[in-house]
Amino acid sequence: MSSPELNYEPEQTEAGKEPKGKRRLLDETGKRLLREIKPLWAWILLCALFCLLLIGCAVAEPELLGKQIDKLYDWTKNKTPGLAAGLLPGLGLLLGVYALEGLMTYGKYYYLQNVVSRYFCAGLRIRISEKLRRLPVSFVDKTPAGDVIDRMMDDVGNMADSIYIIVDILLSGFLQMTVIAVILFLTDWRMAIPVVLLSPLSILLSTKMATLGEKHWDKHWDLGGKLTALAEESFTNYPTTKAFCGEETMQEKYDALSKRHQHSRILGNFLSSIVQPVIATLNALAYIVVTIVGGWLILNRGVAVGTVVTIILFARRLSSPLERMAFGLGYIQQIKGAAKRVFAMLDLPEEEDPAGVVEGETKGHVVFEHVDFSYDPNKPLIRDLCMEVKPGQKVAIVGPTGAGKTTIVNLLMRFYDIQRGRVLIDGRDASELSREENRRLFAMVLQETWLFKGTVAENVGYGSPGASREEIQRVCDQAYCDHFIRRLPQGYDTVISEDSTAVSSGQKQLLTIARAMLANRPILILDEATSNVDTRTELLIQKAMDKLMGGRTCFVIAHRLSTIVDADLILVLRDGSIVEQGTHRSLLDQKGFYAELFQSQYAI
Amino acid sequence: MRKLFCYLKPYQGKIVLATLLMAISAVCDLLLPTLMANVLDKGVYGAAETDTFPYILKTAGLMLGTSLVSLASVAGGYWVVYHVVAGYTWSLRSALFRKVHTMTLSEVGRIGASNLVTRFSHDVGTLTWIISSLCGSILIIPLMFLGGVFLCMRKDVTLSLVILCAVPLLIGAGMLMSKKIEHLWDVSDDYCDKQNDLVRERLRGVRVIRAFNREQNAHERVTDSTKVMAENLIRANVRMEIIDPAAAFVLNTAALLIVYLGGVRMERGSGLTAGDVFAIIQYINIILGAIIAISYDIVMLPHIRVAIKRLGQITESTGLEAPRPAEGRHFTGAIDLDGVSFTYPGSALPALTGVDLHIQAGEWVSVIGGTGSGKTTLAELLLAFRQPTEGNLRFGVGAAIGRPSEADGSDMQDAAALSPKDIRNNISCALQKSMLYAGTVAENLRMAKPDATDEELWAALELAQVADFIREQPEGLEFKLEPAATNVSGGQKQRLAIARAILKDAPIYIFDDSFSALDFITEARVRKALNEKLAGRTRIVITQRVVSAMHCDRIFVLADGALVGVGTHAELLKSCSIYREIYLSQIGGEIA
Repeated sequence: MSSPELNYEPEQTEAGKEPKGKRRLLDETGKRLLREIKPLWAWILLCALFCLLLIGCAVAEPELLGKQIDKLYDWTKNKTPGLAAGLLPGLGLLLGVYALEGLMTYGKYYYLQNVVSRYFCAGLRIRISEKLRRLPVSFVDKTPAGDVIDRMMDDVGNMADSIYIIVDILLSGFLQMTVIAVILFLTDWRMAIPVVLLSPLSILLSTKMATLGEKHWDKHWDLGGKLTALAEESFTNYPTTKAFCGEETMQEKYDALSKRHQHSRILGNFLSSIVQPVIATLNALAYIVVTIVGGWLILNRGVAVGTVVTIILFARRLSSPLERMAFGLGYIQQIKGAAKRVFAMLDLPEEEDPAGVVEGETKGHVVFEHVDFSYDPNKPLIRDLCMEVKPGQKVAIVGPTGAGKTTIVNLLMRFYDIQRGRVLIDGRDASELSREENRRLFAMVLQETWLFKGTVAENVGYGSPGASREEIQRVCDQAYCDHFIRRLPQGYDTVISEDSTAVSSGQKQLLTIARAMLANRPILILDEATSNVDTRTELLIQKAMDKLMGGRTCFVIAHRLSTIVDADLILVLRDGSIVEQGTHRSLLDQKGFYAELFQSQYAI
Repeated sequence: MRKLFCYLKPYQGKIVLATLLMAISAVCDLLLPTLMANVLDKGVYGAAETDTFPYILKTAGLMLGTSLVSLASVAGGYWVVYHVVAGYTWSLRSALFRKVHTMTLSEVGRIGASNLVTRFSHDVGTLTWIISSLCGSILIIPLMFLGGVFLCMRKDVTLSLVILCAVPLLIGAGMLMSKKIEHLWDVSDDYCDKQNDLVRERLRGVRVIRAFNREQNAHERVTDSTKVMAENLIRANVRMEIIDPAAAFVLNTAALLIVYLGGVRMERGSGLTAGDVFAIIQYINIILGAIIAISYDIVMLPHIRVAIKRLGQITESTGLEAPRPAEGRHFTGAIDLDGVSFTYPGSALPALTGVDLHIQAGEWVSVIGGTGSGKTTLAELLLAFRQPTEGNLRFGVGAAIGRPSEADGSDMQDAAALSPKDIRNNISCALQKSMLYAGTVAENLRMAKPDATDEELWAALELAQVADFIREQPEGLEFKLEPAATNVSGGQKQRLAIARAILKDAPIYIFDDSFSALDFITEARVRKALNEKLAGRTRIVITQRVVSAMHCDRIFVLADGALVGVGTHAELLKSCSIYREIYLSQIGGEIA
């Protein structure tokens, strides 16, 4: 297993090196985000078209509505008959514009928020999945599964929003603002100035608030993660807490953290909520200024009343893109946090893989030459390990916990790479082989049984795709599985999984033995694991393992000494090096560490 | 339901204050369009004829004042609201946490730890959301709505009826939609879970997958499910997204209708002015805002209903432990089980059947058996986590403080008559999964004895053979354990749990499978240390390893929930076939 001392901290890779100073919109992550959505340009173009039409609608509406209201005002003055009839064409046109707006809005939602962003999302998830294939086992060992899943699901999900934000909110918001500003200037530049000047001010102010709030949100999310972890711990450790009457202590711990967690949200929440009213106020300010300037212009410069009314209506129209842009800018900062975590994962170094293939039949001659290895550079584990295993030999590896027994498996299977020395298989340096070729030589039965969610037959055939049902049944029979599989509700087609209670842990172990048998590989690795099994099943497992071993080179990680007394070679591992090797008899006669280990079974 | 919201009670005053502030802001927001209409009507339109500039200035000043008051009060309102929300969420979580810790083990097991975690984070989050959305605005939304309608009415009753027709239409449609969506949400939640499971499974099985070169296959499984999930989500959202544009269209159409009808009515001479029509259109926006705010809440209703139901299962749970306070009773260490049977709730077969087991004070015994033999159930009964379904479990109890002692100073008392807290105070244990807490080693150990000195901690670590490891850490006793103690090995975890158990001074010690990850040499040392330190205390070693059991004073052999043998190692080898079988399979024939 992994070195426990190491802790994978992805934030320390590149994602962690975020400069403390300003948070800029187009920093590395922002640019990368834009690059990522590039392949979707055709869709985005379509959506941009929708957005443009929507802006058109947004511009046309106040203009048209303003004209109709003008007619009402005109009527007040002139009382020309036929007012209602005169309104109809304009209102009909407006109805059409509204209908178009509705359709475009739906189309935009449909394509942009739904289709494009979901596929973008799925694409990223598939890339992460692809990435997982090429990441070293050490990554999986050191990274909590929850972290990977978080990135793959939540963070990617948040990133998908970025398309919507960038295209719909920022791009179209900006376009809309520009169009309105131009129209305002064309209508009357004197009144346009105060309106246009207030817009950047309100954006600036609101993004400032969003950034300020973001810090509090970061803290809140962080504490939230801790709080969930604490709850999870309390509920899983429930019996221990109770046994030590530690309920009060846990309660105090939880309450204290929960209080900090809740406290941290107040400012963040407040700042987020206040953005909209602030913009509304600034907009009212613009309205007020326009009214004053407009009134003054009508009185002193003879500007038409209709012009002023149009400007006033447009000034009001500005508030919606402003609010949206402020929201978008704030939100994109949050999304960048998620994107950063996803990119950090996609950028992780992958393991190198040479292209060598195995030639001829493998006999199973395995040699370790001066092998050094450690999980943590500061704590050397395996030092100058030398051993030779002849074809067909059964090798037992024994030693106290932490001596490096499981590490040998990791190195043989190239789950981890040796740091010095060589491992030779049939005289060939294993590191020249591709990992896949290397692994093709081994079948493995591990202490931790792993079954995937699928039928019994699929699980047994896992290592040998294309195996027929007959072959599967034959190995199951040999591995003493057939009888209990037949008793399952759907026999070989019963769906089982890791947590499945339909099969006992001993039966799961038997299934993994059948799986290894069917794979039929020249070298075997057995992490002898019978500690969780009743005696009868254990005997069956032992017999099945013996069958499996017949004639093959085998590495047996021994947890119980009784099973390995007949091994051809026993390697006694202590603190990463082999301290003794030989047969059971010769080692007992040496009266060394092995003898002590063996005798300790009977010590008081 | 009431229980979930009663934590709002202490904040009544603040909620009223927030509502008041929000109301002020709402009134201001309602005033603004009127002022705007006035300034347009009398100021701007009038400007062509007379000097209305002073009027424009005056109204502008009024508008400025109004919007500033609105901003200030809305800010104040939010400030109060979020304090209320934070306080509420905190008290709710605290109360739920306390409640969970009064539940029985079966109840916690029934709901499931991970399920509880989701309820604490996700479901409480949903309630928090709805409260922050409603608190302060619960009166404002109707106020805005009714205010908007009232102001419309004041301008013109007939025109207002148009709006009143559109509103129920929208709300009804929204309700209908939310019903449809409820199911679609379930479906997409389901796919999300599936995807999570698949990735988790793949990460857990990385070695096997790579050993059999099936990474391609694992990748394809994830890819397929990702695609299916995306397609389903798209299907689900297609309907949801109709709401927004449709609502906007209906209200915009209503506005058009108002302009037209306004024109008709003006012509008829109803006294309606152009400014009135303009104002009514502004009011529609306010009403629209209120409807949108409500519709978000309506859409969330199914989620809220689910959250309330799930949290209610915690607050209403009846699977509680007897709330008897500790009475400070001291146990002698003697334990009697007479015909004890236990069946797990919902299970057909009993886990323990008719177990008779008598342990004397100070005895060193072992309970041995394979998986499913009922060993751990026995530990759970002793710790009062569960009560025997049949038979009696009795502890030897010394005199209670302040109570007259019995003739011999002790008697056997039924566990059911004792406070669970007393029982646990008298038992120290290292449980099967050696559960440690995120935090320092010292914190973990002091769980057993809060006032233990550093020397005592070191002594316990020493006995558990883990002092060297802790000494190697630069932080020493302050060495921080990660959640689930992932930064120490299985053997180290067990030894830390053993150290914690030793630290507590108790008449009874239970070690439930606490040596399984230790190699024989280490175990032998731990065993020796325990015997020296705990001599004279009752020690119960629950194990499946013969090595751990064979040196005990007496060994109890459990198989399929029944006691099949009692005696010393030598006796059992002769008399108990199951024990012999276990022995032979583990140690082998030759040394016997």
